[in-house]
Amino acid sequence: MSHATKSALVIGAGGLGGPALLTLAAAGVGRLVLVDDDAVETSNLNRQPLFGEADVGRRKAAAAAERVAALHPAVRVEALDRRFDAADAEDLVRSVDVLVDGSDNFPTKFLANDAAARARRPLVHGGVLRTTAQLLTVVPGGLGGCLRCLFEAPPSEGDVPSCAQAGVLGTVAGFAGVLMGAEALRVLAGERGAYEGRLFTFEARSGRSRVVPVRRRVGCPSCAGVQPLQPSRAVPREVTSSRPGGGA
Amino acid sequence: MPLSEERIARWARQLLVPGLGEAAQERFAAARVRVVGAGGVAGAALAYLAEAGVGTIWIDDPENVAPADAGAWLYPPSAVGSPRVAAAQAALEGLSRFAAVDPYPTGGVPSAALVCAPSVAQALAAAEQSRRARIPHVVVEVDADGGGIVAVPPGAPCYACARSTDSAGRPPAPGAAAVGALAAGELLLLLAEPTRTEGRKIDVVRGVASARPTARLPGCACGAASAGP
Amino acid sequence: MTPAARIDVRPFACPLTYVKARIALDRLASGQVLEVWLAGGEPLENLPRSAAEDGHRVVSVEALGGEAPGAWRVLLEKGRGVEPCR
Repeated sequence: MSHATKSALVIGAGGLGGPALLTLAAAGVGRLVLVDDDAVETSNLNRQPLFGEADVGRRKAAAAAERVAALHPAVRVEALDRRFDAADAEDLVRSVDVLVDGSDNFPTKFLANDAAARARRPLVHGGVLRTTAQLLTVVPGGLGGCLRCLFEAPPSEGDVPSCAQAGVLGTVAGFAGVLMGAEALRVLAGERGAYEGRLFTFEARSGRSRVVPVRRRVGCPSCAGVQPLQPSRAVPREVTSSRPGGGA
Repeated sequence: MPLSEERIARWARQLLVPGLGEAAQERFAAARVRVVGAGGVAGAALAYLAEAGVGTIWIDDPENVAPADAGAWLYPPSAVGSPRVAAAQAALEGLSRFAAVDPYPTGGVPSAALVCAPSVAQALAAAEQSRRARIPHVVVEVDADGGGIVAVPPGAPCYACARSTDSAGRPPAPGAAAVGALAAGELLLLLAEPTRTEGRKIDVVRGVASARPTARLPGCACGAASAGP
Repeated sequence: MTPAARIDVRPFACPLTYVKARIALDRLASGQVLEVWLAGGEPLENLPRSAAEDGHRVVSVEALGGEAPGAWRVLLEKGRGVEPCR
């Protein structure tokens, strides 16, 4: 099946988004849009394979687009050097066939969730925290639930992850990011997603994995496509990911 | 030797992970990892080993970059036809200047191995060499549904005991690099915990991973009291 | 309680502040105490909490005042049964 006519929007070009982009590009997805408002930092390099030593200080969106294009010249890559925000989230998502959320903070993840539902596009959600990966796919009109069915709301303003929670083992991010890309490919091919209605978590040290059913919550405004979009906030420093709600 | 300021800044995120820390990071830096096979999903595995701070990576692959390898994380289309070792060296040294990447030297003594061999026979041979040398090693299998990873700390059930037998020959799934990344992670965990003795196998099927301990097959040489040369 | 080691993480930004503390704690034996000098604001909000999450005990948090205005001294006791890194 050819993906050359398909398109995907990837939020974040770092630990999750980078591997997802490589996976999508390798499968020949015709158009990739990536959104990232960050610059490459030294501490990114333990887990962000699109960037090397020479990229430190460069804008991630540009550096990522360049790297993907160098490896896959046939893929059209559009780099948006800005935050994925409420102002145009819905329009952006509507312009592609699937949304892959590799962002690293809760407000953006909820925005992605809500925007995808409003734009009636499938969403592949992924997160990584220390040594745990989590994935969930939300398909418009599906029986499976969305992030709001699972978590109801993002954690409150003051609930910033601690430094201890900022640890990430790079391979776990890579594992999750590639799986996100592969899942997006399934969805693009019209197949049932592996994580549709099922939250998959994997903790790398113990090897423990869980698959938790996520059913659509009656009255969920996001699933109904009517959740007002909340602005995503700039994160004060590099934070790695969402906290798994039901994860290992 | 305490980590330099530079290395602390570089691996700050990793140093915060429970079970990893300064000692683990030092072990990564001191490790000499033989990577058997540098095509296919080895690209992702190699990238993560280098990024994690592995100090010496020896690439054991005499082949050239094939068209099928192009775009697989490390090799741009322009590298097709050139030796994999050279192309991998160039890509990996760009990812981390702390990684020394070289062809696997004759007489080289690796402290660990990651086996991404293209055939079962090669994988078994490389795994057996690693077992006899009593070094931790990880073997990667890819198949049409995903793949598998067998982690073998010294003394654990060997790859021959644990391997999948039903998947040879089918082309890899699009998510195969996930198996490569996770395999690199398994090797890092083995390096970080040198006293660990339990082996395990992780199967990745249609995007879902599950792990279980490996078990020795009755009569396998890996169960013998001494692992002679 | 005499600290077995002391570090000053005021020059660093989060999360490097906690990375440094973690490395220093890793080098201690269970029950030994680390004294950390840190800045107020984000480091003060984050570092004790992170240490507690990693299984260490926050013995005390006090403003240094005269010795170093604006700085804080945190005493951390290395936890027992904390994941060994060696």
